[in-house]
Amino acid sequence: MPDLLTKTLWDGRRALAAFTAGTALLAAMYAGFYPQVAEGAMGQTVEGFSPALRQALRMEDLASAAGYLGSSVFGIIVPLVAVIFGIATGTRAIAGDEEAGYLDLLLAHPVSRTRLLLHRFAALTTGAILIAAVVLLAMLAVRPGARLDSITVGHFTAQCLALALLIIVFGTIAITIGAATGSRPTALATTAGIAVLTYAASTLAGQIGADILRYASPFHYYIGGEPLRNGFQWADLSILTATTAILLTVAVAAFNRRDLTS
Amino acid sequence: MPDVIKLERLTKAYGRRRGLRDLDLSVAEGEVFGYLGPNGAGKSTTIRVLLDLIRPTSGRALVFGHDPRRDAVALHRRIGYLAGEFVVDPRQRVGACLTFLAELRGGVPKARIGELAGRLDLDLTARIKTLSKGNRQKIGLVQAFMHRPELLILDEPTSGLDPLVQQTFLDLVREARADGQTVFMSSHIMSEVEAVADRVGIIRDGRLVALDTVARLRDRSVHEFQVTFAEPVDETALAALPEVTGLTIDGPTARFRLAGSPDRLIRVLAQQRVASLRATEPDLEQLFLTYYQADSASKETTHA
Repeated sequence: MPDLLTKTLWDGRRALAAFTAGTALLAAMYAGFYPQVAEGAMGQTVEGFSPALRQALRMEDLASAAGYLGSSVFGIIVPLVAVIFGIATGTRAIAGDEEAGYLDLLLAHPVSRTRLLLHRFAALTTGAILIAAVVLLAMLAVRPGARLDSITVGHFTAQCLALALLIIVFGTIAITIGAATGSRPTALATTAGIAVLTYAASTLAGQIGADILRYASPFHYYIGGEPLRNGFQWADLSILTATTAILLTVAVAAFNRRDLTS
Repeated sequence: MPDVIKLERLTKAYGRRRGLRDLDLSVAEGEVFGYLGPNGAGKSTTIRVLLDLIRPTSGRALVFGHDPRRDAVALHRRIGYLAGEFVVDPRQRVGACLTFLAELRGGVPKARIGELAGRLDLDLTARIKTLSKGNRQKIGLVQAFMHRPELLILDEPTSGLDPLVQQTFLDLVREARADGQTVFMSSHIMSEVEAVADRVGIIRDGRLVALDTVARLRDRSVHEFQVTFAEPVDETALAALPEVTGLTIDGPTARFRLAGSPDRLIRVLAQQRVASLRATEPDLEQLFLTYYQADSASKETTHA
């Protein structure tokens, strides 16, 4: 069966390559700063911050490798770029292609809407796993030189798996909104808004005394359990997976119900 | 013969006017059906229902006796579709695009794609973004015809094509009919449909306003007459005929349009000595326009 999946990946190959290389390079670069941070350069800067801000930015323990990577590389930079990839890919998957007029032709072929959507989801998943895998390889490559040996390969893998699932969750949110509305701007703006709000919830909920909000954020399940320190957080990973499964079910149902926009 | 397409009180409501209202229509196997109407009349809406891209508000459509929604995938194997606005990702090459679409159908012989591209003068190695609108439309034609579907659904197939390619397209339709394929094509130009269609339906504001064979539509259409008399024109006699409209007298010459049977006109003319008589070929375009402008036309008659 010739694949909508292969075709989708092939059509998106340039963006995927750029995001993969960009994410991995940024990750490796910032991880490479760890030796200076460990010697106190960053610690001094952060000392001026209030304890609350340091907690929010997960900077209580910058001196340890897991603390530094968890706050900077995997706390901000990598998830930011990776989630942008997820949202862009998820938006294009249905709503973007629909607005461009490409879906009319595909769906007039012997291709069910369910199959189209699942192939688009599979392409998102493949891209997310590729990004996470290359980030993992980049981390393992700089690990000895950047004095990150205190973090085990298993723990890096755990964090990168969570990263893949984070990308997939946000990509699937965009797919679902696109599948329900057919509107590219709606899918893009709503998902981006959800990402900003849930990121804020995971980092600031403690500060504003609304700890419970944190549990509504995918970012919490991505890094709240500190995989770099504690390894695989199976409960968190399951919640991300279950969220994706529920969204996907909703997306398929919504996409099968409505008219395509012309 | 079984109906390939059957619409039963098909209604599609949109927020504003555009939509379909209680449309009944059937297209038989092997028939070439011309679906005519001005832009926005509901042609594309009908077609998109047939392909399950949109769903009817009420009533139903059947294709090969099946529900377009429930049996979408199975039906799409038997259908070739050209959208009113054919768009594909412009970054790919023509050949790659067609091969991908062919593979979605389980493959089409390369020779078949090559043959169609050759006849339409379409360069398979070109990148789609470098092509003109007409050349992109040719890609749409190739993908619709390449797998020799039992049913071709073509929405404004000739838009953007130059006259030479339009001829090739009409040849393709004739060949399809010769092979027993059914063709449902929409257009807002009568002449191209007239050339190949067995039957024509005219739709306006979501309603079917005429449905007949091309031959019978032609019979019903308006003839332009120019009669020169050898004596003063009996204007009252001519004007009294209900079939005659637009009568003008210019010296010994009367010009008018005749709709329907010429019998009574001939009786009137026979009362006088006629020096010359000229009647133009029935013009379907004219008829088509009268259906289009039915509203404004009826207003004119009430004023007159």
